[in-house]
Amino acid sequence: MTDALLDPWRPRAGQWDRAAAQHLFRRAGFGARPAELELALSEGLEATLVRVFADGTPPELLASIQPLLPAGELEHLQAWWMALILEGGSPLRERMTLVWHDHFATSNDKVGDVRLMYAQNELFRVHGLGDFRTLLKAVARDPAMLRWLDGDSNRRGHANENFARETLELFTLGRGNYGERDVQEAARAFSGWGISGRTSLFLPEHHDDGEKTLLGHTGRFGCDEALDLVLEQPTCARHVARVLLEAFVMPNPEEAWVTELGDVLREADWSIERALKALLASRLFFSPASRRARIAGPVELVAVAVRTIGARVAPRRTAHWASRMGQALFRPPSVKGWDGGRAWIHAGAWIARHNALVELVSDDAMQDELARFLDSSEREDLPASALGRLLPEGAGQPFTDALERAARHANDVAEARKAVVALVLTSPEFQLF
Amino acid sequence: MLLTRRRLLVDGVRITALVPGLALLGPRAGIAGERVLVVVQLTGGNDGLNTVVPFQQDAYYRLRPTLAQKRSNLHALDGDHGLHPSLRELAPLFGEGRLTVVQGVGYPHPDRSHFRSLEIWHTGDPEGIHTGMGWLGRMADQIAAAAPGAMPAVHVGDEDLPLALLGRSMSAPSLSDERSLRLSSVPGLESERLNLLGESAGAPGDLAFLRAAARNAYEVSTRMERALERERSAFYPDLGLARKLRLIAKLIAGGFDTRIFLVTLGGFDTHARQAALHAALLEELARSIGAFERDLSSCGAGERVLTLVFSEFGRRAEENASRGTDHGAAAPVLVLGGPGKGGLLGSAPDLARLSEGDVGYTTDFRALYTAIERNWMGLDPSCAIPAFEFGG
Repeated sequence: MTDALLDPWRPRAGQWDRAAAQHLFRRAGFGARPAELELALSEGLEATLVRVFADGTPPELLASIQPLLPAGELEHLQAWWMALILEGGSPLRERMTLVWHDHFATSNDKVGDVRLMYAQNELFRVHGLGDFRTLLKAVARDPAMLRWLDGDSNRRGHANENFARETLELFTLGRGNYGERDVQEAARAFSGWGISGRTSLFLPEHHDDGEKTLLGHTGRFGCDEALDLVLEQPTCARHVARVLLEAFVMPNPEEAWVTELGDVLREADWSIERALKALLASRLFFSPASRRARIAGPVELVAVAVRTIGARVAPRRTAHWASRMGQALFRPPSVKGWDGGRAWIHAGAWIARHNALVELVSDDAMQDELARFLDSSEREDLPASALGRLLPEGAGQPFTDALERAARHANDVAEARKAVVALVLTSPEFQLF
Repeated sequence: MLLTRRRLLVDGVRITALVPGLALLGPRAGIAGERVLVVVQLTGGNDGLNTVVPFQQDAYYRLRPTLAQKRSNLHALDGDHGLHPSLRELAPLFGEGRLTVVQGVGYPHPDRSHFRSLEIWHTGDPEGIHTGMGWLGRMADQIAAAAPGAMPAVHVGDEDLPLALLGRSMSAPSLSDERSLRLSSVPGLESERLNLLGESAGAPGDLAFLRAAARNAYEVSTRMERALERERSAFYPDLGLARKLRLIAKLIAGGFDTRIFLVTLGGFDTHARQAALHAALLEELARSIGAFERDLSSCGAGERVLTLVFSEFGRRAEENASRGTDHGAAAPVLVLGGPGKGGLLGSAPDLARLSEGDVGYTTDFRALYTAIERNWMGLDPSCAIPAFEFGG
C-alpha cells in the first residue's frame, strides 16, 4: 500500500537545478556554501544525499566546548552549537539535534546548569538519527530532563506527573490517545530517578514497584517497560512521523503522508536515519507544494543566509542574532518548544531579522565574499546574479524592478552589491524555506 | 485556561490570515492612550526590612546591630514605619497618595534560590506547573491577539530577555537604548524595501502574511523613532535605571503603543558590608523613579501608568557576621500610580514571630498580579487568586 509520494524522486533532465539543490540543503541541513552547491549540481541528487547524511564534523570542533564549560556561561554553549551548525560537517545530524531540541524542549531557564544542557545536546546529537526508542529512553533519564520536568522529585507515594504527562501528550502519542489514568500510572512507572552530581541514577527505594495498568496492560512496569508500551501504540510512530514531516516538509502535513511515513518508520525498526533517507529522497519532499512552504526559524535563517553567501561570521554573533529574533538556543519558551510558523513573525522579530541580515552584508570584512558570491563587477548583472543565487525560484516583477533601481542608484559597485543582497535577504520571499 | 488562550491566539492569526491588509495595516486598535504597566525588578533580593523599616519594633534593632537605620533618619510613613533614608525622593510621592506600599508580599513555602524564586515571580507559578511562560508574556499574548501589529511588551536593558516576558506567541524585543529598534540600512535599501514588498493581495498565504508583517514592522519602527524623536526637557539623574525609565517615558509620552515594560536594577544580593551598597542602590531607585514620576505627570500620562517594584525575595531578619544579610522571604512591594490611592497596605512584618528567621508572607504576590492583570490592564488573570484590594 505504498503511496507514490514517498517513492524516490527521479529528476528529469534539468530538474536537479539550483532551486532543487538549495531546497535539499536548506531543509536537511543549514544551506550550502557556494562551493558545496556547485559540487552538488555537478554530482547530482544521489551523491548529494550521501553528503547530506555524512558525519564530517572535526573532533576538535566537537571537543572545543570542553574548556569553556566550567565557566557555566550559556553564551559559550550557544556559540559552540552555532559553530557546529555553520562550520561542522554533519548538516543533517545538527538539523536533527535542533529538531529534537524543539521536540523534547528543555530550557536552561529552569535547569540552570550549562553542563546539563550540553549533555542533553550531545544526547540529541548521538542518538538523533538512530533508534527513536533508544533516544526516548535516554531522554527519560537525562539529568536536564529530570530537572526540567521534575522527574527528580517523582517518588513512590509522592508522584510528580509532569514528565509522564508531557511524554504522552507531546513526546509520543498526542492528546486524545491516552487517558488521565495512563498519566498517573506512567508517572508511577517513571518514579525513582534522581540526579547525583550531574549524572542520573535509579534509586530503588524511591521507585514505585507496585502493579500498574498502563494503556491496557497490567504489570509491575518500570521506566523502560512503560516506554515500550507507549512505543507499541500505533499512534506513536505517527506522532514521530508528523514531527519529521513538519520539520522537513511543511506544516500541517496530510494524514495520508503521516500514516505512510509512520509505517516506514516502524518497518525501519524506528531508525530515524532510514525514515529520513526515504523522506528526503521522495517525490513528496521535492514536490512544488513542499518548496518554500515553511517560514524559516531564526537559527536556520541566520545559518542559511551566512552559508549561502559564503560568509564567515563569529558563531557568537549569529547566536545573538537568533536570540533577538526569538530563538535563543537552550531557552525554548516552554516544553512545547517554539510554536514556529507565523508565530515567529511579529514587529520586533521582523526588525531583528532585518537588522541582522543587513548587518551581515554591511560588515566591511564581508565585501570580498560578496564580490566572490555575486561573481560580477558589472552593476547591471547584480540583480540577476543575486536572485539566481538566493531566490532561484524567481520573484515578481516589482521585486526585480526594485533590485535594478537599487543597483543603478548606488554610488559604486560595492555599494550596489550590498544593497542588492540586503534587499533579497530581507525580503519576505527569502524568509520562506 | 491554557486552551482558551491558545484559541484566542489562533483566532488572532486567522484574522490576520483572512484580511492581512485590514488587521495588520489598519489603524492601531486604539492602543495608544491605554493603561500601561512598568515593572521594575530589583534583582538579587532587596532587603525589605531596611527599605520599609519597622522602627517601633525593638527586635529590629536587636537583630540588626550594625545595619539598623536610626529612626530619626527615616522618612516616616506612619507611626510605626519609615522609608530608608536614601528613599528621600519617594517620600513626597507617598504623601501625595501616588505611592502605595504593600508589606509582607511573598508566596507559600518560600524558595531561597535566586533562580527559582525569580522564576516563581516571573511565571506567577510557585507550584511549577506551567513551565516556561511569564506573566507579562501571557498578557502580551492577549494584547497581540486582540490588536495584531501592536508591540505589546518591551524589555529595556542589556541582559537576556527575562522569563517574565516570554509568551507563547509574543517574544518581547529588548531595547538596550533608543536605537535598538531603528532599522539598519545600507544605501539603496531604504528607498526600495517597501517597493519590493509588492502587493499582499493575491500572493500565496504565507507570503501575503509576511509582506503584511514586514510593512507593519517597518511602520512600528518608524513610529517608535518618531515617538523618541521629540526632545523632552524632563530632568533625569545620570543613573542606569533613570536612563531606562527615561526611554520608557519618551515612548509613553510619544504615543507609542507598548503597554508593558520591564526593567531591572541589579546588585541587591548584599551578603556582606551591606550598608553603603544598599543605600546607593535605594538612592538610584528613588531618584530614578522620582524623575520618572515627575516626567509622567508633566506630560499628563501619570494617570495611566502603574509602576510595580518587586524583588525575588527579602532578606533574613537577622544580619550576618559580615555586616550583610542572607536570602529571606517576604518583603514589601511598591506600587506607583494605578488603582492604589497611596498608603501602607498589607500586614506589617512581626519580628517577634519570624518563620525560620524570615518575615513570613501575608499577601500572596499573585493577588497583586490578578489586580494588575484584570483590574488595571483589563485582561484575563493568570490564576484564580482574588485580586488584591487597593482600597480607596
